[in-house]
Amino acid sequence: MSKGGSRLSEQTTCSAIISFADKLEDNSSRFYEKLAEKSAENKETFLAFAKESRKNKVLVTRTYQETITDALEACFIQINLSNYLAETTIKEDMSYLDALEMAIELEERASSFYFDVAEQSKSLLATIPRAFRKVAEKRNNRKLKLKSLTKNLM
Amino acid sequence: MTILEEPIKEVLALRNYIGDEWVESEGELVDVVNPTTCKVIAKVPISTRDEIDAAVEAAKKVFPEWRRTPPLARVRCLFRLKELMEEGFEELSRIQTMEHGKTIDESRGETRRGIENVEVATGIPSLMMGYNLEDIAVGIDEYMIRQPLGVFGIIGPFNFPFMVPLWFAPYAVATGNCIIVKPSSEDPISQVKIAELGEEAGFPPGVWNVVNGGRTVVSGMLDHPDIQGICFVGSTPVGRDVIYKRCGNTGKRVVAQTGAKNFLLVMPDANLERTIASCMTSFYGNTGQRCLSGANLIVVGENLNEREYNALYEKVVNAFVDAASKIRVGYGLDESVQMGPLRDKSKKLRVTGFIEKGIEEGAKLRLDGRNVKLVGDWPHTCFLSPSVFEDVTPNMTIGREEIFGPVASIMRARSLDEAIEIIHSNPYGNAASIFTSSGKWAREFQYRVQCGNIGINIGIVAPMAFFPFSGMKDSFFGTLHGQGREAIRFFTESKVIVQRWF
Repeated sequence: MSKGGSRLSEQTTCSAIISFADKLEDNSSRFYEKLAEKSAENKETFLAFAKESRKNKVLVTRTYQETITDALEACFIQINLSNYLAETTIKEDMSYLDALEMAIELEERASSFYFDVAEQSKSLLATIPRAFRKVAEKRNNRKLKLKSLTKNLM
Repeated sequence: MTILEEPIKEVLALRNYIGDEWVESEGELVDVVNPTTCKVIAKVPISTRDEIDAAVEAAKKVFPEWRRTPPLARVRCLFRLKELMEEGFEELSRIQTMEHGKTIDESRGETRRGIENVEVATGIPSLMMGYNLEDIAVGIDEYMIRQPLGVFGIIGPFNFPFMVPLWFAPYAVATGNCIIVKPSSEDPISQVKIAELGEEAGFPPGVWNVVNGGRTVVSGMLDHPDIQGICFVGSTPVGRDVIYKRCGNTGKRVVAQTGAKNFLLVMPDANLERTIASCMTSFYGNTGQRCLSGANLIVVGENLNEREYNALYEKVVNAFVDAASKIRVGYGLDESVQMGPLRDKSKKLRVTGFIEKGIEEGAKLRLDGRNVKLVGDWPHTCFLSPSVFEDVTPNMTIGREEIFGPVASIMRARSLDEAIEIIHSNPYGNAASIFTSSGKWAREFQYRVQCGNIGINIGIVAPMAFFPFSGMKDSFFGTLHGQGREAIRFFTESKVIVQRWF
């Protein structure tokens, strides 16, 4: 039973998780628009990432709003959001390679966040973990793509 | 700590919506207060008898036209209302938190539950159909059709200011009736907002009216000969002694969903981690201000010896107290908060009165919610933290009466039979739950327990929009319940036609 008690103590509200996801996708979208300016060759790829982030935000928000009930137990998830914070500001003097490294770190944290939330929400309505897993996989695919772009530069 | 933006920036002057007009009331204005900040966020009128009469007149006038409107055209208004509610989802939810105090997740859940009733009512073209049979005798056919009755009154409670009137309103208008909603004067803003959306959705003037106020409006509804029925959610004394009786006197249909004292049983084979999480929802969700809230937790020692039972009891109590003590209390718009304030100071005082009574009658207070710990710097006026009593007996005041606040009473029962007897000795019959891994015990429980809503490993037995919100004994007065098919039957008369053509 002590496990039950400690689990409750670490819980984050659903609202906080969705706000975090919203912000993550907003920041990611802005980040890739900025990154697109740094590479004519991969501009379309980065703009597609930015667009995808806007869609991710819609998907996550809609899933939450359509499935939330007033039942408190469904609204707490055991997660520490500070573990998933990532830098998304590209400085003017930053090299393209450094910006790519930053993007990989961002995707690493984002996909971990979504995979972890999907895992934590497994006992809820299937729509919820499915949506988080879908976004997690998209972000993981971005990471693979970014790694291949980095490799090509080296 | 992230505080979401408040949608109400200045004090709202609420008006009534009667016919096609937003009209100022002649009645006095009272304050609507945000229970967290203690700031006035709106002024609501206590409307007069003439104003409720005017609303009935407006509804009565449009009824013949509205009932002749094809069901498909009627529900198009509901489809538009749903879309407008979806567009305004966040604003509507934050308003609930401001006017009631509940957390933003709870408010969004309430908004969703309300919208779901609108969605179900859009199925009226199918749901309202009657039935028929050819050749009941030679050349004779018989069929049944459902017809609307006229004007209905809907009296909303303070604890779910957005959702509860929607247990009734969408079904009433979809079946061709007209309605007058009287929101709770403590938190009326949500219903005024819904009426604004209803106007935008294109309901003809007079179909969906809102008259703010108190007893005068309720009396006006109860006495008015042109009101066909009343839907009420509130306390048992008012529901039983006022609403139900006076509807009987005037021949009105009535749904009166009233008070509760809900029992949750923990059997020895329950999954304790999931049970305790579910109990937190049940006892402390909406700050205990739900008619479905858990009130008494009975630890049942079926098939256990004395030593085993005492060990189980201690384990459950300790886990419950530990979990309850960690609930974060504060402003519902703070996303880190898990429980908001009571709706107002008088409700807090009432709950603290019960806590004092519990101590006086010998129950053991394991967690004292009067020692308020808040997230954020808010006035303590309406706040209590979770409380837990143990060794409560069914005849103690806190074990018997509805507290309607964040107070849990833990009881003992050595067998399932004894636990069911305890439930049945209480006059209420709204909800009861059992936590167990045994299908046999669960079936026994659902079969025998005299409560309208039964949970099996569920802490809050909230029926979905397509099921009736049930209730028995002192928790319900009437015949048909709100939501789903029963609501459709409530709002329609069954007319039978026997037909022969020569």
